[in-house]
Amino acid sequence: MTRNGKTPGCGRRLRTWNAGARIGVLLLTGIGAGGILVPSLAAETWLLKGATVHTVAGDAIPGGEVLVRDGKIAAVGPSVNTTDVPIVDLTGLQLYPGLIALDTALGLKEIGAVRATVDVREVGDFTPDVLSWWAVNPDSQLLPVARANGVAYFEPAPQGGVVAGQSALVALDGWTIEDMAVRKSLALHVYWPAMTLNPTPREQVRDKAGWQSLEDQAKQRAARLRALDDFFQDARAYAQAKAAAASNQAQAPTPDPTWEALLPFVRGERPLVVHADEGRQIQAAVTWAATNRWPIILAGGRDAWRVAALLAKHQVPVIYEHIFTLPARDTDAYDVHFRAPEVLRQAGVTVIFSTGVNSASLVKNLPYEAAQAVAFGYPADEAVKGLTLYPARVAGMADRLGSIEAGKDATFFAMDGDVLDIRANVKRMWIAGREVSLESRHTRLYEKYRHRPKAR
Amino acid sequence: MTMNAWLRVCVGATLLAVVPFPWNSPATDILPPGHRARPPGIHALVGGTVITQPGTVLSNATVVIRDGFIEAVGQNMSAPADARVWPMQGRTIYAGFIDAYLPLPATRTSAATAEETSSDFNDSFTAGGAVDFYGVVGQRTDRGMPGAGHAIARVTPERRAIQSYSPRERTLAPLRELGFTAGVVAPADGIIRGSSTLVALVEDNPNAVVLQPDVFQHVSFDDRGGPERVYPQSLMGIIAAVRQTFFDAQYDAQIHAGDRAHPPGRPRPEFNPAWTALRPAIEGRQRVLFEPGSALMGDRVRYIAEELKLDFAILACGQEWRRPDLLADNPATFIVPLHFPTLPALPTEDDWEDVSLDALRAWDWAAENPAVLRREGREIALTTHGLSDKKSFRKNLRLALDRGLDPMDALAALTTVPAKLCGVDERLGTIAPGKIANLTVVDSPGYFAPQAKVRQVWIDGRVYRLPADTAKSVRSPTKEKSATTAAGEQKADPEARPAELRALRQQRVARSPLEGRGPLLTPAALLIENATVWTCGDQGVLTNARVWVQDGKVKAVGDFTLTSGADLVRIDARGRHVTPGLIDAHSHTAILGSVNESSIPSSAMCRIGDVVNSETRTLGEQLGGGLTMCNLYHGSANPIGGQDCIIKLRDGASPEGLKFDAAPPGLKMALGENVKQSGWGDRYTTRFPQSRMGVPTFIANRYRAAQEYLRAVERAEASGEPRPRRDLELEALAEILQGRRWIHCHAYRQDEMLALLRVMESFGVRIASMEHVLEGYKIADEIVAHGLGPSCFADWWAYKFEVYDAIPYNGALLHERGALVSFNSDSSDLARRLNTEAAKAVKFGGTPEIEALKFVTINPAKQLKIDARVGSLEPGKDADLVIWSGPPLDSRSVALQTWIDGKKYFDREQAAARAAARQQEREALLAKAKKVRRLEAAGGGGERSAKDGDTFFRVAWEQLYEGVDREAEAEGL
Repeated sequence: MTRNGKTPGCGRRLRTWNAGARIGVLLLTGIGAGGILVPSLAAETWLLKGATVHTVAGDAIPGGEVLVRDGKIAAVGPSVNTTDVPIVDLTGLQLYPGLIALDTALGLKEIGAVRATVDVREVGDFTPDVLSWWAVNPDSQLLPVARANGVAYFEPAPQGGVVAGQSALVALDGWTIEDMAVRKSLALHVYWPAMTLNPTPREQVRDKAGWQSLEDQAKQRAARLRALDDFFQDARAYAQAKAAAASNQAQAPTPDPTWEALLPFVRGERPLVVHADEGRQIQAAVTWAATNRWPIILAGGRDAWRVAALLAKHQVPVIYEHIFTLPARDTDAYDVHFRAPEVLRQAGVTVIFSTGVNSASLVKNLPYEAAQAVAFGYPADEAVKGLTLYPARVAGMADRLGSIEAGKDATFFAMDGDVLDIRANVKRMWIAGREVSLESRHTRLYEKYRHRPKAR
Repeated sequence: MTMNAWLRVCVGATLLAVVPFPWNSPATDILPPGHRARPPGIHALVGGTVITQPGTVLSNATVVIRDGFIEAVGQNMSAPADARVWPMQGRTIYAGFIDAYLPLPATRTSAATAEETSSDFNDSFTAGGAVDFYGVVGQRTDRGMPGAGHAIARVTPERRAIQSYSPRERTLAPLRELGFTAGVVAPADGIIRGSSTLVALVEDNPNAVVLQPDVFQHVSFDDRGGPERVYPQSLMGIIAAVRQTFFDAQYDAQIHAGDRAHPPGRPRPEFNPAWTALRPAIEGRQRVLFEPGSALMGDRVRYIAEELKLDFAILACGQEWRRPDLLADNPATFIVPLHFPTLPALPTEDDWEDVSLDALRAWDWAAENPAVLRREGREIALTTHGLSDKKSFRKNLRLALDRGLDPMDALAALTTVPAKLCGVDERLGTIAPGKIANLTVVDSPGYFAPQAKVRQVWIDGRVYRLPADTAKSVRSPTKEKSATTAAGEQKADPEARPAELRALRQQRVARSPLEGRGPLLTPAALLIENATVWTCGDQGVLTNARVWVQDGKVKAVGDFTLTSGADLVRIDARGRHVTPGLIDAHSHTAILGSVNESSIPSSAMCRIGDVVNSETRTLGEQLGGGLTMCNLYHGSANPIGGQDCIIKLRDGASPEGLKFDAAPPGLKMALGENVKQSGWGDRYTTRFPQSRMGVPTFIANRYRAAQEYLRAVERAEASGEPRPRRDLELEALAEILQGRRWIHCHAYRQDEMLALLRVMESFGVRIASMEHVLEGYKIADEIVAHGLGPSCFADWWAYKFEVYDAIPYNGALLHERGALVSFNSDSSDLARRLNTEAAKAVKFGGTPEIEALKFVTINPAKQLKIDARVGSLEPGKDADLVIWSGPPLDSRSVALQTWIDGKKYFDREQAAARAAARQQEREALLAKAKKVRRLEAAGGGGERSAKDGDTFFRVAWEQLYEGVDREAEAEGL
């Protein structure tokens, strides 16, 4: 994607960057991965100063300093010991670690209603060898929109039948998916079979032939759960056969891409993301995973608050996607899902916020999911952790991402207000030490049309 | 009658030993040899307890029947010498029961007829054709049914049950066993279904059984029966079709009244058998029985019948308990089914999780429904309708009596009320000389004692012995006696359980759905002090300010001298912020039935005001986000949608009580992908328009038609000639042309918006608002020049191709260029947080906060032309306001209290208690349900547990969409 220099807006953009240069930072202008003109630092070492640094790992540091070297954070503190390095002055701004958006359709879906642009779902109930990241379009117009609000990493999640496939953690910066994917695979996505019965009486359904009695539905429910468990037990048997072959106790099994794909998961080396919303599903999934000693992360989790103790007992983190879902039961309070994260937190469950597995165009609103929980009692510092450090942990990337600490990637953004406040804007942003553009299809169209001459 | 039917009558007749000749009934009644002779027609029923009418009990009385009529009734009366004497000691005799609603399948017609023609119906939307029906442009020769008839195949008022009714012993015998002697056989399909017939419940020559032809005209709001894609699909469309049809019938009657009535120069009027058939109804000679299907529509029927000047009755839906307040002013007699939900057999204990509070309430309330209707002063007639097993009628009646139905009312509901309703109260319904000898004979103490058996019914003076009666005669007395003794010996324990079960069911646990809703506080005056007040008016933002509310209006804001202290409620709002109640300019949240009438491209005759759903939980949820008003719209499936309805969120009020009295009428229109059906699937390629080229063409066409319609009306008025046929579609469009109705148009792309502006300008019409206006920022100046108000999404984009250029800066940019901008929700979720939607205008484009707040307060009020009353906190305006925990645009603030008309409708501190009460109620109901099931399983009798086709979970129309955001449906997807 390239832009014609004559297009309204582009010139304006450059002026903005020049203004940035005037604050005395040594900058060279180069072409970034987005194909957009972005500044990049010539120096390999530089210092951010003036901002309130929300380290997330500890207390915020007003007027703190962050020393960056080779794309990593070298030091953080009220004042770091350095001389003669270029300085980026962020006085008056708030510095946060880059946000991590787990369980999204970003990169996989451009326009929901245009099938040709949607790559979120495959055919088949058991497809663990489907790898989501190969379908991520690095030039999706939706990516820069999410990035412009501080989202630095996202997880494109495969959808499907029961075992949908594997996901990756992808940086919102890079030329190709191979540049961008920082962890693959991240997890195996399992969609827990529905356990609710549809109680609509025959007289009320339009499709009379398709109607099923509660008993028949219950039988099918049991069969679906059995099929899920059998699939994983088969995979475990395959893994055992391989192990036996490795120690020359048996002949190696015929290689099978499906069973091969499941090896790290049945060995417990990588987590399963289990999608489940309803209480019975969550209980069943957690118990199943615990019995098999497989690490799981619960995604969706609408009713997780009702089984919080069980989740806490088994140390299952929850990617909570239902802040803005309407109350599900007629006995629920109007704010049931606004308060759900706090119920989970108080029980000892780790909460990660997400715009949800179907979200793509509005992943930018991720911090406001957390803000809504804060409005209804959730601690603000925990909310920020649920956008940064906790998803980094779940993604197995806490050594590199999720907080502003020495040794981690220099991935952060500076905002003119609180990250949870809708009114605030991201002013500058870095991913792994590289400053990224905050331009998007939105800003370009805005610039173009705000400069439209007054119509006759 | 077909030959088969005729044979059946003959065969049946021999079996019954009652031999009628179908073609006549000669006075001599002498039958040819080989037939069993008719019994003599004189009978005396002696010694029974005779209840001549509800409340009049004659013990040890005699009823004399002569030739099918009652000759005499009284005490101390001896039987005539020529009568056969029937000893009735130990029996109670009632006037024969009447079931006022028997939709017998025999009256069904083949649905295939309508299906076959449906494709023609839809494929013929070619432009340039004659205006055919309801805004459908097309040229059809066949109007959906073979032969002359109504354009809508499901409108068949000309159908008469009498023409297709063949008496069948199989269906009649179970009714007689319940004591019924006569019933109204009704056509069972369609919208306007046709006329019903009151018949004697015997298998006999159809001519002979008819007691009253054409009793009611039947109208149903059932939206499930029709073929796909054929108008009308939706509830509001059905109501519109009913309304139009009755107006057409009125017009038809007028122009056919005489030669002079039809003005010269108008085309020859068509012959329409449907219109003709409605003449008795429009002239008040035939009662219309509405089947509204829900409690709210039962209320709506009242307004529709009033508008159409109809004499009407209502088939109760069984859920009138939901809103007993709506019954008080409804003059209708209700025909009430005793069709109660039975507890489901759930596969596992955990599955009770799928049982909602509402389902449990419906189960617990059902038996009380007849009593609720009576308590509100309604006349009721009982019907067996809806019972898959008719035998449960008496058992359910017993439940209804246990739940407060007066036995005298119950008797009236079986006799005098249905007789009067059917217009036969001079012939049926009581036991009096001269009346038809229909009687119901039951063991004493009478029908309402469960052990009392119905022994006989008498119909037209002829006895029909029921199984209880015939069984007795064949059994030897000794055997019978030993049977009772045996039962008596066993009964100690098993009897206890039914008693416990009965006591349990007698006690209602469920609360009224109206509890826990409605205003929490209604002070005469309110003073909010020490607040930061965002007036959204000339006073701007005031710190440490006061707001004074008196009699539901804002009396003063800011600095003033308080002149009244009486009944003043004071709120110390230190640290709090107060704003006007938020207004959602675009919502589908409280609509009963489909949001779209998606069959036809112009559905301007559909009125959201007909289908406001006051019972949705979303009202309460949105109050919790500070919303006080919204405009309910038809969806965006059609270029010309339906008429809108502006409501205040007075949760707990009736649909009429929600409506905002000062709202000017509006009309929803739409452009782009939805109306050209591009997302509907490959089958939807024949309706005009299919492209953005055709949309303005279609719209211009309809407004041209409306212009001509208006001219014709004006010409007629000037010349004193009868007005042209009233056309509800064109009437709504004509109101737009006259400036009496406002256009609110769903629009996305700049090209389509400009096209609409120019089309409407060519008719001299100014559009009030464009909805969503995603590319509005591209044509801000044109929008401002036209003078319309854009009502935007804050940041939705990329869900359809036409929104790929949508940007979150849209609102700010339009505002900067001088447009009157609002942000709307179009979503039951976003409607809970419009304040933070407004904050996005601050973030994207830097709109000042006070201006951004106006996007969801005074600006939508201006777009909807209601700003004289609402939208800002200024003296004289409605006291609709919100108290926030912090700055209203801060995503970390919450609404603490929401006030409408000076009444507190939401208080965060009380919301949890209300939810807890619902939770407790559900648990109590679950406990009751489980106990009832246990007792039943232990042989307590009572209700059976239902399995297939379980009716327990039948969801009320009002509850059908709970928990579902209807935005996708509104898109026409």
